[in-house]
Amino acid sequence: MYWLERHQLDNLVKKLTESYELFGPRRDEVSGEIIFDRLSHPQQLDLKAPIPYNPPKYILFPHYEEILKYRYDRQSKKVVLGRVSHLKPKALVGLRSCDLTGILCLDRFFLGQEFVDEVYLEHRKKLFLISNTCVRPFPQCFCVCTDSGPSAREGFDLDLTRVGDRYLVEIGSKKGQSLAEELGLKKAGEEAAELKKKVVDESVSSFDAFALENKAWISRATNRLTTGFIKPEVWEYIGNQCFECGACSFVCPTCSCFNVEDVNRLDGATDRLRTWDSCSFEGYTKMAGDHNPRKPVEDRRNKRFFCKLSYSQSKKYLRPGCVGCGRCARVCPGDIGLPNVVTYIRREITGE
Amino acid sequence: MEGSLVPIVTVPEVATVVEIRDEIDEVKTFYFNFDRPEIEQAFKIRSGQFIMCTIFGAGEFAVSLPFSPENDRKHISVRRVGKVTAALHELQPGDKIGVRGPFGNGFPFEEIKGKNIIYVAGGIGLIPLRSSIVQVLQHRAEFGRVILVYGARSSRDLMYKESIREWKATENFETYFTIDRPEPDWSGEVGFVNQLVAKKLSLPADNTVAFVCGPPVMFNSVIKELKLKGIKEDHIYSTLERHMKCGLGKCQHCAIGRTLVCVDGPVYTYKQIKTLGEQI
Amino acid sequence: MSYHRGVCNFCGTGCGHLLQVEEGRVRGVYPLPGHPLSQGRLCVRGWHLHELLQTEERITTAFIRKNGELQQVSLAQALDYVTEKLKKIKGEEIAFLASPRASNEDNYLFGKLARAVMKSNNLSLASDAGQEASARVLLSGGSWPAATGSLARLKQADFILVAGGDLTKQNPIIASEIHRARRAGALVVTVSPRKTQMARLSQVHLRPAPGTFFLVFEGLTRILYEEKKIKADYLEKHTENFQAFFKKLDQVDLGEVVARTGLSREILTEVAQKFYQSKLTYAFYPTGVQSLGQRTMAALFNLMLLSGKLGQNEGGIIPVTGISNLLGSYDLGLSPAFLPGYLVASEEKNIQKLEELWQTPLSRKQGQSVSVCLTENESLRALVVVDHDEEIIRNVNRIKELELVVYFGAYHNNFASLAQVIIPRPSYAEAEGTFTNAERRVQLSRKKVDPPPEVRPLWKNLTELARALGHDWKYQSAEEIFSEIAKVVPQYSKLTYRQLESHLGIKWPCDEKHPQGTDYLQLPEAGSKFRFVLEENVRPQAQSIAEEKANFPFRLTVGRSNYFWHQNSLMKRTFIPKREYNALLLLYPKGFVEVSEEDALRLQLREKQPVRIVSESAEMTLAARISPDVLPGQLYIPYFIEEMIPEFLLRQAAELEKNEEFFLPVRLEKGG
Ligand code: SF4
Ligand code: SF4
Ligand code: SF4
Ligand code: SF4
Repeated sequence: MYWLERHQLDNLVKKLTESYELFGPRRDEVSGEIIFDRLSHPQQLDLKAPIPYNPPKYILFPHYEEILKYRYDRQSKKVVLGRVSHLKPKALVGLRSCDLTGILCLDRFFLGQEFVDEVYLEHRKKLFLISNTCVRPFPQCFCVCTDSGPSAREGFDLDLTRVGDRYLVEIGSKKGQSLAEELGLKKAGEEAAELKKKVVDESVSSFDAFALENKAWISRATNRLTTGFIKPEVWEYIGNQCFECGACSFVCPTCSCFNVEDVNRLDGATDRLRTWDSCSFEGYTKMAGDHNPRKPVEDRRNKRFFCKLSYSQSKKYLRPGCVGCGRCARVCPGDIGLPNVVTYIRREITGE
Repeated sequence: MEGSLVPIVTVPEVATVVEIRDEIDEVKTFYFNFDRPEIEQAFKIRSGQFIMCTIFGAGEFAVSLPFSPENDRKHISVRRVGKVTAALHELQPGDKIGVRGPFGNGFPFEEIKGKNIIYVAGGIGLIPLRSSIVQVLQHRAEFGRVILVYGARSSRDLMYKESIREWKATENFETYFTIDRPEPDWSGEVGFVNQLVAKKLSLPADNTVAFVCGPPVMFNSVIKELKLKGIKEDHIYSTLERHMKCGLGKCQHCAIGRTLVCVDGPVYTYKQIKTLGEQI
Repeated sequence: MSYHRGVCNFCGTGCGHLLQVEEGRVRGVYPLPGHPLSQGRLCVRGWHLHELLQTEERITTAFIRKNGELQQVSLAQALDYVTEKLKKIKGEEIAFLASPRASNEDNYLFGKLARAVMKSNNLSLASDAGQEASARVLLSGGSWPAATGSLARLKQADFILVAGGDLTKQNPIIASEIHRARRAGALVVTVSPRKTQMARLSQVHLRPAPGTFFLVFEGLTRILYEEKKIKADYLEKHTENFQAFFKKLDQVDLGEVVARTGLSREILTEVAQKFYQSKLTYAFYPTGVQSLGQRTMAALFNLMLLSGKLGQNEGGIIPVTGISNLLGSYDLGLSPAFLPGYLVASEEKNIQKLEELWQTPLSRKQGQSVSVCLTENESLRALVVVDHDEEIIRNVNRIKELELVVYFGAYHNNFASLAQVIIPRPSYAEAEGTFTNAERRVQLSRKKVDPPPEVRPLWKNLTELARALGHDWKYQSAEEIFSEIAKVVPQYSKLTYRQLESHLGIKWPCDEKHPQGTDYLQLPEAGSKFRFVLEENVRPQAQSIAEEKANFPFRLTVGRSNYFWHQNSLMKRTFIPKREYNALLLLYPKGFVEVSEEDALRLQLREKQPVRIVSESAEMTLAARISPDVLPGQLYIPYFIEEMIPEFLLRQAAELEKNEEFFLPVRLEKGG
């Protein structure tokens, strides 16, 4: 481990901007809220900021992206087609542990299954990741229940933990190592590991006092979902409250569903677009012709929670699909974010 | 048969439609060849797999492959149901399409050698079964009894009339064709396929596998009959259709319960289908 | 690639969002946390706004129709052409159709072009009967034309009444606020014949027979009156005509209310009592798109007033605007009834005041709405239209006869195909302007991306036209126009871009007395009082065609509310929202009529079976959709997807669209 002094933080950021586009948490001037965004000035980076309202997912898996371009001239029967990509390398600085875990989930899903998703891979290859330990949780967090925080264990190039007014830096990759060396960071002594552990332990034990919004009983709910013994009425109760907006999927660091459309452009070319999708929509499973296998909205809701929490789905992420960020609870017009649903399931179990 | 099975994953390969045939009302068959000789060479499939087919300017859709993995012309048979398939129906020979795949698990082949096979199809349910039927007939000696029961609403709704003619003349292939209501020139059976299965078939249940494809009502009634005959649930195969966007197990539109039709399917045993926990 | 603050431009909720901009294009959208109303939520439309903003199916150059064909011309040529034509047209010969989606700045100049330059008072929006009715009722009762309450305290409400429509579809984020309030303990009572999602989220659902909404509220009022549950003090002090109102109440027959609405006296009494006891009380109804009738709005207003619920606290009446700037459009006088600032257009002193501000003489001739002009005004020769994005266009034949139809628009649609001159407009992310949501919140939306080269803000083109027609307009920016608005519209008098810039919207009135804006309607000051709205003061309710029960036992209603995806000519250019409404179209490609489960059983109807609907004058065939959402004896046809609207309905459209309470007596027969 290394030490990063306050004044070296600027150097770190400056160094990164030489080879990367810089992304990190910044504060919106008017609403005062935190957004994970492209930083136009390094000074915008706010490492003390609470968990941003949006996960960094959109940087790897954009809301709207052209994945193929083609042109077909029916007269001459000529087809020109190919992938166009001009992705720039990006550095994501100040990732919260839940969000880094989210990226690892996406990695396992997009890269680790039967097929490698080449579009995602291209984004992923060009990232430099710096995580930031939450020395104190935020009201919406429950990463301790989902085993995804408050401190990152893997997947980063560098990991920062604030101790007093400097940072302990843990190295996670060769890229990270060479950056640390280039910056001439001071090696931390034996005590570093102990120090970091203390900070993290303190953070964990402060969840009861600070993380008040969402008390999730993930493990019990997981059990229930996997065995499938949740009464249909519970799903109906949940489904009735769904406004079918898709937000819960869009804001979730691990939701990966997408839609594909071919759109003809005025210049005669066609773009194949990949856009975010959500299992909450009726048209998501709708087939051409008549048949919608998953019609009632409660079935669709059921799908989401099954996807996030059941053991069988965990296999694809090698962990639960929920990383405990609490975002879906905030954006849901129906007030049926995952923590609430877990509560309903718990009530059913305990008869509360 | 263990040829190289490297599917085309992201960028479609261009193929030329070389011939188009009208099958039945709203269904046409399109024969195609890849433009690049090396792909034409390397493109290998298993029966029961599917491809993602791009109609340039309209979009992409999933379609099951009706041709045999060996010595058969490449083609797809498609019903006009939406915007993209409508655009396909507009194509002329010489037009280009895009192909990704093949994807999916496919029907068992090696594993069922030596067994009796019964194919039951309703309407356009014959499309995905054709691939397996032709392949099995190509290896006829390696199987026990092979039976096809195929029904449609009327004689006009029977798919693959040319193949049917051939099959009728094939030795050691028991075929039964049925339509819902009598017609003047019809010499086959009349009635629903499940009734035919009930009436005609007597097979040693433990050495028989069944492949069933067709509309849900037909599917369920046939399964009932097959079970009455003692055929085990994990010896009954079918293929499921789902809304698909990628074919790679990523978009998740085709998720059923805990499986994804595009990578875990599209072929499932009835035993699996029952546990998928969703409407099929 | 970075996020920029903005306001969703679809419905009148006006949710805050962040647009993700990359290389001059909007690539994504995200909810803006901390927005006072939406608080980080968006509905399905809002979540896909970027799909619309990315479409290339845009109007990017000007066109003039020559020999029936649209031909591309330069902007200058198009403006010259229009100028020459306009020079030969008199005020009463031209009508102006404004857009409830355009910014206040664009709308203000559009109105000024009509009134000050062309001397025409024929200026209106399209489907806004409900908004006008609502403004009239509220002005007449409280001298305050819009939401009297504040949504800021909705979560502490103890009683919420939701009348008509389906807010979960029309204004989902306002519905979400109601839902949250209910979860926090409020009693939510929905009044709607259909079992909407809003109804499912309410503890009490009153399902009056179609056409009897007003009776529900008159009945509730009568019950409170009978039981002496009135705030006598409040009435004495703050209302002026309660005696006259009591006399009216004496005539309300509860027996008739029960018989005609089909609601039991017990349930009405229970609701009335809970309503009376509540401390922080809200009443919502939709305006603009299929609203309630005016008599119903008046009855609701009177109910609130009788129980002393107005002016006391943040509770109150919230007319919910279905389109982003519908309220702003009225604030700026885009109606034959009102001048900017809700000054009654027929009063001489108001006209004089405006003449002074604008330094030009104005016409005294009573204006007509565009739809009235098209059906009744024989001398009409020209029509100027901004972004008419509804699918269904009425009076097509009359429009085709006109000498001049000018269309200012961003997207090609049915209307553009009727125009002789088309002038492109920027999309909402390509220009700067303010928008006023249902809560009276004026929000500034900055330009995020550049428009295509030939595209300029509407106000610029209007300024140029006015100059060419001899008026020395000097506007250089939207901000300049806004500061003129502040001089003309009293409610906006202290608003400035600078102030709006640093706030997520400010609620009008923002004036000398309330420089920070105003949260809710206060009690009247000494010398003025609230008034009960008596029928004499409002226009009579549209009456349904006389029923003939024996031959036509069903009541057919149409609505956009339940499948309301809003302005389909916009939604068609998105992917996900389009897919979602197509999901319905795929199932019923020729349209459907909803039939109750009970009637379906009785008539032995199967799902999707073709049925014939026969009215006194016409008939049509469509598929039956068996639905738990309609009551026995009722039929419902969604009226928003062009493909689903048979000729039959179009002929009755003028009637059916007046308000949600209108119905058509029909019978239902099997077979096609
Ligand atoms: S399910 Fe909800 S709480 Fe869990 S990771 Fe997704 S958005 Fe966060
Ligand atoms: S929860 Fe729904 S949207 Fe999210 S990944 Fe799972 S299936 Fe897709
Ligand atoms: S965010 Fe809530 S309302 Fe929206 S789709 Fe998800 S569960 Fe439904
Ligand atoms: S509720 Fe209205 S303003 Fe809010 S996101 Fe939806 S359409 Fe936009």
